[in-house]
Amino acid sequence: MKKLFQQIAFPLIGLAIVIAIWQGIIVFGHVPPYIAPRPAAALSAIFSQWSQIWPLTWTTICETVYGFLAGAGVGFVLALAMAKVPIINKMLYPLLVFSQAIPVIALAPPLVLIFAFSMTPKILVVAWIVFFPVTVAAVDGLTHVDRDYHQLATVLGAKPSRTFAVIELPAIVTPLFSGLRIGATYAVTGAIIGEAATGGGATLAQYQHDAATNFQTQVVYGTTIVMALIGIACFAVVSAIEYAVTPWQRRSTARRYKA
Amino acid sequence: MTENLLRVRDVTRRFGDTVALSRASLEVETGSFVALLGPSGCGKSTLFNVIAGLQTADEGSVTLKGVDIAGCTGHVGYMLQKDLLVPWRTVEDNILLAAHLTRGVQPMDRVAAREMATRYGLGEFLRHYPHALSGGMRQRVAFMRTLATHQSLLLLDEPFGALDAQTRFEMQRWLLEVWESAQRTVLFVTHDVDEALFLADRVVVMSPRPGRIVADLSVTYGRPRTLDTLTSPEFMRLKAEVLSLLHPEATR
Repeated sequence: MKKLFQQIAFPLIGLAIVIAIWQGIIVFGHVPPYIAPRPAAALSAIFSQWSQIWPLTWTTICETVYGFLAGAGVGFVLALAMAKVPIINKMLYPLLVFSQAIPVIALAPPLVLIFAFSMTPKILVVAWIVFFPVTVAAVDGLTHVDRDYHQLATVLGAKPSRTFAVIELPAIVTPLFSGLRIGATYAVTGAIIGEAATGGGATLAQYQHDAATNFQTQVVYGTTIVMALIGIACFAVVSAIEYAVTPWQRRSTARRYKA
Repeated sequence: MTENLLRVRDVTRRFGDTVALSRASLEVETGSFVALLGPSGCGKSTLFNVIAGLQTADEGSVTLKGVDIAGCTGHVGYMLQKDLLVPWRTVEDNILLAAHLTRGVQPMDRVAAREMATRYGLGEFLRHYPHALSGGMRQRVAFMRTLATHQSLLLLDEPFGALDAQTRFEMQRWLLEVWESAQRTVLFVTHDVDEALFLADRVVVMSPRPGRIVADLSVTYGRPRTLDTLTSPEFMRLKAEVLSLLHPEATR
């Protein structure tokens, strides 16, 4: 209970300090509201513009989630192929680095030429960002499974498919989820870059851009907060899933017991 | 007259120019407890791995119940100094690991595993995860996992090497108790003379460069082995003999 309190209390205190600094800069620096709003003004802009912000936010959430799932799936399959087939690993590793050396914003023009102004290019930009940390983490995890476990499985006469399911897959859960958490946090960045760079009608990025053009500064800041909240929510969901699938990391006994 | 369960004939294994094991021959009777004793580099782990099927012999043969098993895995129980329990499975499912890895766990496997764990003092830990157990308990679970393979020959490679002296002695007595009631054949690798002499019916002494078997001694005192065994004159006589085999240069 005390631990839970601290887990919630300390982040809130940290947040309060940041907001206080923000408020202090605006008030004591005499910053006019069209340059930067007070925290309260930015928050209230979210609520007053909610009917416009929400549908766009939903679109961004969809891009983020679809892109994340696609990126994580592709990343995991790539990792399997690379960890199991050394030749594939040698061929693909430099290409993986190359893929991430491409400035994300430069992906937009070719994607628009292929997919026009649909949701697809945004999803692909997200997937492009997400797959990399997932692949790297999973390859690392798979190649670091203790060799003695493989030896034990061999002596016991194990089938490779079962060794994978019973030993290897659970063994890489922790590294895999660190990759997924990084991917989840960056996914929304990919979605917004995708929206800004590929354009195409009503998007959260476009909405923020328009608000800036009209000097609706509090709306600009409010939109930024909404974008960040999407990222935080993705991170939280991935962390919650990890928590649910790794009971052995915090419990001394199994909860369910097949009697 | 008991037949020989395991028969190792003139097994030689080289790694490059190094002869890890030179013409090793060994017979293990059904139901017996044989210790392989020797310093590191004497080839005991190589012999162990050849019998387990993890390495192939360059020369010689290995037969189990009369069947040639050279280079084949899946017909011995196997346990190392590292317990190799999987952290994400409960004690019960760790005991059932061999079934999980081969044909899948049947309800009767669970019944048998629970019954066995309860009989040998692990009943209350069945739903624990390994990290919640002490080192000695973890080794007990690892040994139960080895028993649950239903193999008649169990290969144990310094299973208690990482435990403190008190826990190790406790584990040795526990192992004898289980072995006597479970009717299996044990080949036990160790570099601890006392351990070998306390546990085994026969002590096979090995020597390095090249790794080879130098003596095969019968332990003359009977069972059950107790604390008194460790200080008996027979124990001391055998210990002196083994020590002189292990350290010929130190013998005057």
